[in-house]
Parts: sequence; C-alpha cells; structure tokens
Amino acid sequence: MPHKVNYEDYDYGDYYEYEDYDDYDYDVEDNGEAPTPASESKQETSKPRVWSCAICTYDNEEGISVCDICGVLRTPLVNNNSKTAGGICKDSGASIMAKSLFASLPPRTPKKAVVIQRQNDGSLMEEGNNCHKLGNTKGKFHEFHEAFSSHSRSKFNIAPFKFDVPSPDDLVSNGLHSSKTGSKGNFLDLKSSRVSSSVSEKNGSVTTRSSAKTSDIANALMPKDKQDSMDERNSLKNEVRASSRISDSSSLVMAKDRLGTIDEGNRSNHCTVDDSISSSVDGTESSSHTGNLTSNMKNMSLTAKSGNSTNVSARKTNSHTQYKPEKWMLPDKKGDRMTQLNLAIVGHVDSGKSTLSGRLLFLLGRITQKQMHKYEKEAKLQGKGSFAYAWALDESAEERERGITMTVAVAYFDSKNYHVVVLDSPGHKDFVPNMISGATQSDAAILVIDASVGSFEVGMNTAKGLTREHAQLIRSFGVDQLIVAVNKMDAVQYSKDRFDSIKVQLGTFLRSCGFKDASLTWIPLSALENQNLVTAPDDGRLLSWYKGPCLLDAIDSLRPPPREFSKPQLMPICDVLKSQHGQVSACGKLEAGALRSGLKVLVLPSGEVGTVHSIERDSQSCSIARAGDNIAVSLQGIDVSRVMSGGVLCHPDFPVAIATHLELKVLVLDFAPPILIGSQLECHIHHAKEAARIVKITSLLDTKTGKVTKKSPRCLTAKQSAIVEVALQEPVCVEEFSNCRALGRAFLRSSGRTIAVGIVTRIIEDQQ
Amino acid sequence: MRIVRKDLIPNGPGSVKMIPVDSDDLWFAYNLVAAGDSVLAVTVRKVVRQTKSGGKDAERVKLKLKIKVEALDYDKEGSALRISGKNILENEHVKIGAFHSLEIELHRPFVLTKDVWDSVALDTLHQASDSAATADLAVVLMQEGLANIFLVGRSMTITRSRIETSIPRKHGPAVARYESALNKFFDSVLHAFLKHVDFNVVRCAVIASPGFTKDQFHRYLLLEAERRQLRPIIANKSRIVIVHTSSGYKHSLREVLDASNVMNLIKETKAAQEVKVLKEFFNMLSNDPTRACYGPKHVEVAHERMAVQTLLITDDLFRNFEIATRKKYVDLVNSVKDSGGTAHIFSSMHVSGEQLGQLTGVAAILRFPLPDLEDIEM
Repeated sequence: MPHKVNYEDYDYGDYYEYEDYDDYDYDVEDNGEAPTPASESKQETSKPRVWSCAICTYDNEEGISVCDICGVLRTPLVNNNSKTAGGICKDSGASIMAKSLFASLPPRTPKKAVVIQRQNDGSLMEEGNNCHKLGNTKGKFHEFHEAFSSHSRSKFNIAPFKFDVPSPDDLVSNGLHSSKTGSKGNFLDLKSSRVSSSVSEKNGSVTTRSSAKTSDIANALMPKDKQDSMDERNSLKNEVRASSRISDSSSLVMAKDRLGTIDEGNRSNHCTVDDSISSSVDGTESSSHTGNLTSNMKNMSLTAKSGNSTNVSARKTNSHTQYKPEKWMLPDKKGDRMTQLNLAIVGHVDSGKSTLSGRLLFLLGRITQKQMHKYEKEAKLQGKGSFAYAWALDESAEERERGITMTVAVAYFDSKNYHVVVLDSPGHKDFVPNMISGATQSDAAILVIDASVGSFEVGMNTAKGLTREHAQLIRSFGVDQLIVAVNKMDAVQYSKDRFDSIKVQLGTFLRSCGFKDASLTWIPLSALENQNLVTAPDDGRLLSWYKGPCLLDAIDSLRPPPREFSKPQLMPICDVLKSQHGQVSACGKLEAGALRSGLKVLVLPSGEVGTVHSIERDSQSCSIARAGDNIAVSLQGIDVSRVMSGGVLCHPDFPVAIATHLELKVLVLDFAPPILIGSQLECHIHHAKEAARIVKITSLLDTKTGKVTKKSPRCLTAKQSAIVEVALQEPVCVEEFSNCRALGRAFLRSSGRTIAVGIVTRIIEDQQ
Repeated sequence: MRIVRKDLIPNGPGSVKMIPVDSDDLWFAYNLVAAGDSVLAVTVRKVVRQTKSGGKDAERVKLKLKIKVEALDYDKEGSALRISGKNILENEHVKIGAFHSLEIELHRPFVLTKDVWDSVALDTLHQASDSAATADLAVVLMQEGLANIFLVGRSMTITRSRIETSIPRKHGPAVARYESALNKFFDSVLHAFLKHVDFNVVRCAVIASPGFTKDQFHRYLLLEAERRQLRPIIANKSRIVIVHTSSGYKHSLREVLDASNVMNLIKETKAAQEVKVLKEFFNMLSNDPTRACYGPKHVEVAHERMAVQTLLITDDLFRNFEIATRKKYVDLVNSVKDSGGTAHIFSSMHVSGEQLGQLTGVAAILRFPLPDLEDIEM
C-alpha cells in the first residue's frame, strides 16, 4: 500500500509477530470460545469455517450463532453468547480480549452497540455476509482516502484483528445507520483528517520511543470541540479494542514475543489505549449528552464488566511507554525534602561494619547517650565490651550472643545532603544470602576493610575471604560509587604504609570488578577510637599524612543516583511486618514511581490488589513516597499470607512478569566451580531467592566484546561470560534487565559462595 | 524385599517370586519390571455376569492373574506400583488378552518372569534383597523461613514436608516480632517433625542449615520436648545430629550426606556412595576437565577408547521401554566392569541421582585425558 511508506520499517520488521497472533486465533477458534473476531483475523490466511443454516442453507461464519439471512438460530448452538442476542460475536470477542486490559478500569460501556451494529450489518450485507465483511468494505474505503493513510497504518499493524479498526462504533456515533458509501466516506474523511494527524504524530513519538512525548500528544489529543472529541474518541476506541486485543494475545504468546520487543506498533497502540482512556474519562460528563457517544461508553462498560475477573496468569504485557504519571508523583522542583540515599555497609566478617554504623548513628544523634550507656553495660556484662556500638544494630538475642550480624539491619541518619538509609549487612559467609536480599536496594556502598595485620589478608583470601565476594556483589547490584573505609587503623598505629599497600592491593581488584577510580573514595578511620568519622581526625599520627575528607563528608559527596519517578509504581518487598491489628506492612525500596495512601497496588506473585493505607519512612508517616525511598507501606484489604518478602508491589495495570524459566547473561566469578547443565544453584533476584538449575548453556561470550565465541559449551569455568537458561523451583517476580534494572539482576550461588552474577535477558514462558 | 523362590539362568530366562516389605522395595520392583516381562499376582477384579433373569450382576472377585507388562506407574508418595498389561493366564472370569492393572502392594507376593535376566536386573535384585544396607535418615533441612523434611531411604529420598514462612528482618523496636516469627516458624517445623519422623524407623535425625538456624532449632526442639513431654524426642536426643549446609534447599542434601558425622552412620549405603562418586566427578571436572565427561555420546566415545575408569549412570536409563536402549546401557555397564572400571548405578530418587539425571544421566571419570572430546558435538 503506497500510503504506508512511512511506517514500512517497523511494519515489516514485526511481521512475524502477527503470525503468532494468528496462531493464537486459530487455537481459540478451535476451542470454540472466541468467536468472530478470530475468524475475521484469520480470513487473510485461511478460509473461515462455516455452518449451514437449516432453513435457507446459507453458509454462515463459524462464530455466529444465528443465520445471517433468515435469523434462524444455529442448531446445535455452539456459542452461548448471552450478550450477543443479535448473534454478532464481535463484542463478546472484544470482551474477552478486553479482559486483561480493562480488568482494572472503572466500568463503562454497553451492549447496545451490538444491536445497532447488527443493523448495520444487515443493511450492508447484501451478499449475505456478516460483520467481518463490514470490516472489509471499510478496508476498501480506506484506500480511497489518502488522508486516512495513518489510520490504515494502524490497521495494518494489527492486521490480524482488523475486524474492528474502522469499527461499527464509528458508524453508530455518526448516526450512519444505513451506511452508504458516500456518507461513510464523509465521516471517514472527517475522522481521518483528525486521526491521521494524531496517529502520525504518535508514530513519530514511538519511533523516538519517548514516552514523555507520547503523553504530551495524549494531552494534545484531549479535545475541546465536541464533535472532534467524539470522533477522536471513537477512533481511539477502535484502537483501544484493537490494541487490547493485541495485548491480550501478546500476553498469551508472550513466550514468543517476550524478547523485549513488543513491537513498536503495539506500543503506539498502547499509547492510544491510555490516551483514549484518560480522554474518555475526562470527557465523559461533558459530552455524554451526545446520545450515540453514550452508547459507545456503555459499550465499553460491557467489556469492562466481562473483564473484571482478575486473572493473574493471563497477564498482559503493557509496555511502560504508555504510562503517564500523575502530577503528584513527580518530585517537586523546590525540593521540599532531601533525597534518600540507600547506603549498604559491606565487608569481611569482623571488619567492624556494625560498629562503624553504630558509631555513626551515635555521633549523629540517632542513638541517645542513655541508650548507648545501656548497650555498653549490657555488652560488658556479656564480656563483649567492644561490641557496644554494634549492639545498636544487632538487636536480636542471637546476634548479640554470637557477636555477629545475621540479617541486614536498617537504620537512618541525616547527613548534610541526604537522608541516609544505612543497610548494615552481615559479613559472615553463611549470611551472604541475607546480605544479597537485604542490600540489593543500595545506591552506594561503604566497603569496610580491617586494616590490622593478617585480617585484611584473610578478607582478601580467595577461598574464605568475603571482601572480594562482597565487592563483586555490590558492583553487580548496580552500585558504582564505593567508599572504601579502611577501619581499625588504630591497630596499625595509623600507618600510612599500611593504608597505601591496602589501597594498591584492593584497588587493582576493584578495578577488575568494574569500579572506576574516580568513583572510589579511600578513607582511613577507626570506628572504635572515633577517628575520621564525622569530623577530621584529631590523632596526630593520622593527621600527619591524611588530608582527605572524613567519612561523613565522603557520604555527602556521593552523587544521587538517577530515579525513575515517571514509571509505574514498583516496589520489591524486602520484608513483611504484621502489626497487632492484623495489618500488613511491606518494607522495601520504592524502585520506580510514587506511592501515596489510598492508591491501589497489585501484590505479586499472589496477584491480589490491596490499598495503601499509610506509608512510613524511618518510623514516621509520610504522605508521598517517591522512587528511591526506603519505606514501609501498610496495606489494607489483603491478607498477611498473600504478601511475602521477595514479592513485588506494583501498579495494577503494569504487573511485572512472574516466571520460573529465565535466560541470563552471566559472568562466572573467579575460583567458581564449573557450571554444567543441570547444576543446582540458588538464584537471587532482588529480594527473592529460589533454588534453580541450569537448563541450558546457550553460548559462551567473549568477556570483552560480548560476541558469541562458542555455541553450547560443555561447561562454564571461572571468569567466563555466557548466556544460560535457568529453571527456578518456584516462580519469582522478575523483569528483563532492559525494562527494569532492579528486578533484572540475578545472582547465582552454590555451596555457600557466589559463583556467577548476571542480568536477566529474557523471560521464557513455560511450554505447557 | 524377601525372595521366596528364585528360578533363573543369568542372562537367560527365569522367574522370581518376591514379597516387597518396605517402600524402597516397590522402587526396586519398579526398576526390575520392564515392558515385555510377565507378572503373576493376586488381584481383585470386578466381574460382570449375566444372571438368569437377563439382568447384570457385578461382583468383585479375587483371582490370580498373569499379565504381560505394557506400562508401569510408580507412585512415590503413596507407595504403590501399578502394572498394566494383557492377561495371559486363562481364567473363568477373565479372558486371555483382556486388559488388567495389577497393583503391587507391600507384603503381597508376586512372581516376575523375564525372558532375559541381565546383569543390571540381577544386581538390582541382589540389592533389593540385601536388607543390611538400609539407611533411613530423617533430614530437616532448613534456613530462616524455609524448612524441608526429607526421609532418605536406601534407594530414594522422599520429601515429606515443606514449610515456608516469611520472617521479617529485625526492625528497630520491632525486633520482638522477628523473634516471635522465628518461634512460630520453629513451631511449625516441630509439628512436621513430630508427624513425619518416626524414630522406630529412622536411624537418626539430622538438623541441617546454614548459619545458626540449626542450633536455634535444636535448642527449641529440646526445650519444647521437655516442656510438652514429647517422649520420642526426649528418648532419642542422642540420635539427633546437627550438620552445616550452605542453604536450605533440597540440593543441599548432598552436603548433609557428605558431612563426616552423617557419613559415618550411612557409610556402606548406596546413598553415601553415590554422593561420594558424584563429588569425585565434579572435582575432576573442575581440576582436570579433560578427564571427565558426560552425555551418552561423549561417554560412548570415551569408552571405545577404553578410557572410562568410573561410570556414573542413573537407573532412569535402564527403565527405558525400548529394549535395545536398555541393552545398550547394560552392555556399557558390563563392558566397563570387564575392562577393569567401576560402574555406579544411581537411584534417580536421591539428590545425587537427580543431579546426574540433569546431566543427561550418564557421566564418566576417565583414566587418561581426552582433550578432543570437547570438539565432538554432544
């Protein structure tokens, strides 16, 4: 088609994907539950099935339960479509497909259009054809109208579903009940002139993939003029249906198109979905006196009604580009409050992480003198005087008794520039899983090194030392700013030589992990003797050679990480608390979007919707939480057992994927045992951990260039980079790394050590 | 398994009458019986008879049937083996050629007739009848918030219970909640423990976990036992062993069986040997990858060059319904043994066998390096 030239690029590129949809349609039709639309879409590729009317012997479409000519009921009745008395299954088709899309929308729309449309059909179908024919006639129409090119573009995009592109709704709204070519031409002209411009604009935005622009256009689309608005809404609604169909089917063929390339055509359609939804919501009142429009609205409610069952498994793949954040979600320019900074404190066991954190909290007034006194007394009583500061964070009896941190402790303090959330992680080998699940949310990290002779070397030891493992993990959490706190300098008399030799040894390793020299800060300090923590050191031995910043200054000089304010809400649940009143609180870092009380959120993987009751930050309630905040969200209307740590809170319309089968791009760490097909591992993804097994080693990659060097190797050994497929025992919430970084990182562990880190490149749908 | 009567020629035809006595024996039976064999057992069949008045009368009749095996179905949890096939023993109620499913149950004798009793089948039979090598071990494998209870038998591992709860992080003043959640978790594990661990059957119970969860649970177990006067636990205090593992997932069971204090208890058993051999294989693979190989193709090539020192193979492969395939693997095992190597047949019901199964089911440690194996397509 000559008028489509502009869009050929991606139309062709995505062609094979439609075949998927086609496949889907066949399946559905075979099941006998998805009626006409399927057969329509099928029309291009195969001959639709027909049934013969008992009275007039006319060959009717499979999906229709009443003869098109004489109106006699089909016997036996196959499609029990209660809604479609007229026997036109188009709308029930729409309702099926709308299931996923409209599941969470307030009900609108009706069944009337069905009947009217039936009339249209009757008048149109001299040859005794049914509704899909209508689509066809229209299809020809489009070719008459150059101005309509963009619209037919969108039609081409959704080729298998063209049944409703120019949809009878248009006819209805324009009052063209007995549609003749001329009059239809008029209305199409009218519409196309408007729609084409908007659609083509949209295309432009889609190609640039700028979501912001799309939403701008959406605003631009918001009509003032009634007639215009009606037309636009109609046309948009067509696309709503078309795209809802696509999203529906794409969810089912997710396996195939999960490749992270929901075709751009879809994307543009999705955009229109959202736009039209918002526009119709806004404009409903003002223009509802237009009778035919209301019928359209009602039509929507029909679809919404049938789609109310929230089917978790049949998830749709909404692309995030369509999401339009509300105003309150975006951060205030004035900066009413300081940015939160999630700071993980990591390092080898007994390097003084908790003591350092405790000391910082005490110096910054987060722990009162009285409390501190109490800790000191208790610690002395247990014969662990030096652990007094650590006790501020190690609160459980078990931890205090053993003198080690077991789970990640969360504490808060304010520096000059930030609200700092301290994630004090355990350093013991057995608790690395806890460290991973607790500290994945960090934006920056302090790597604590024990400077005392022998201890640093043990920490760097390849077999037992955790300094290396922690540094590699922190890097693969996505942290690129690191403060290396060389602790216990008092034990080496604040020797510059010691500090420098540590710096040289560790620096080489950190560089090999991918930390840049510029984002590393080296600070000698002593947590126990309070040197160089919040103020410049006063010990002459350190003062004599160290001129750099103190720890607190170094924290202040960290750059705030970029936040995804304008994406849909997404919060991996790190921790679940149950209050006495049976209320559930989910704790974690809000990775994207914003939350405020009253908002509905979807809890995955249980798939239930709850309402945000209140939000707490550092035990103080706050009204709005934005991306990057570490918060506790108390939820209403959901049972405690349905909220698990490792799950995710997200926008009901933008659920994250739940999968058991993933394709990962991994880097095997040093000294890891070989990874074979069938190797059993533990897989950590954000706060979730699950037993996993390597299903397939797809290819070996060159670590430098990322090119495939070998297909299906026998095994993976240390320092290799590869694409592997893993199967998880239980499903986890996960996203492809390109979509969501926080949910797209994976860590593979086996026999107590981290053997590989990587990212999720593809979510593989189970073949069942 | 009790062998009542044995009448067979090695590598020739014969029949064996046996009585399965524990659930492991059904597993052995499952491995012994192959398609094409015939099985004679007492069974119950619903027989429909025409009465004189012309009506129909159904009656359940206990009778002895001999069937030619067509399909096998093993139910691990329910301890049952169903064998279906065509009847070959003329009977007043059942015609020859009529289909029937025999259910082999514990303590019910059955007679298995095979055309060929190959070495692997004889081996299985020998193992099944050797009651000395039992290793019944109860393992509580846990980590904070997750616990699995396993029973490790002679030839299989059964997951009895899986408990999963969410345990909150310590949280400022709410640290009490962490403790209470942990206690609640221990309580549910204790319940499952009492329900599934019978000290009359198991030799010992193992509590395994990373970190200190195992010690915490052990303490909790003993305290609760004292408080609630749980006789079985108090009496068997000494039979509870604590082992360190790296995680609470099922595959860490390997580490449990590998731990020295458990190893001593189950030294002679198959499970322990399997774990040891598999570990050897992995060590070889990481230290000298050219001296270890896996996959049928690679192993076959290695065997042709007489390189196979130790052969690791799962019983899954022998259960193949194609007689030719089974024969191929039996021959492989025999010829490895003949050429001075050792062959270990792994039970696919154990963790180690499961893992080997995922590695295509067959692997080998080689006598000398074969670097060119790498280049052969798998």
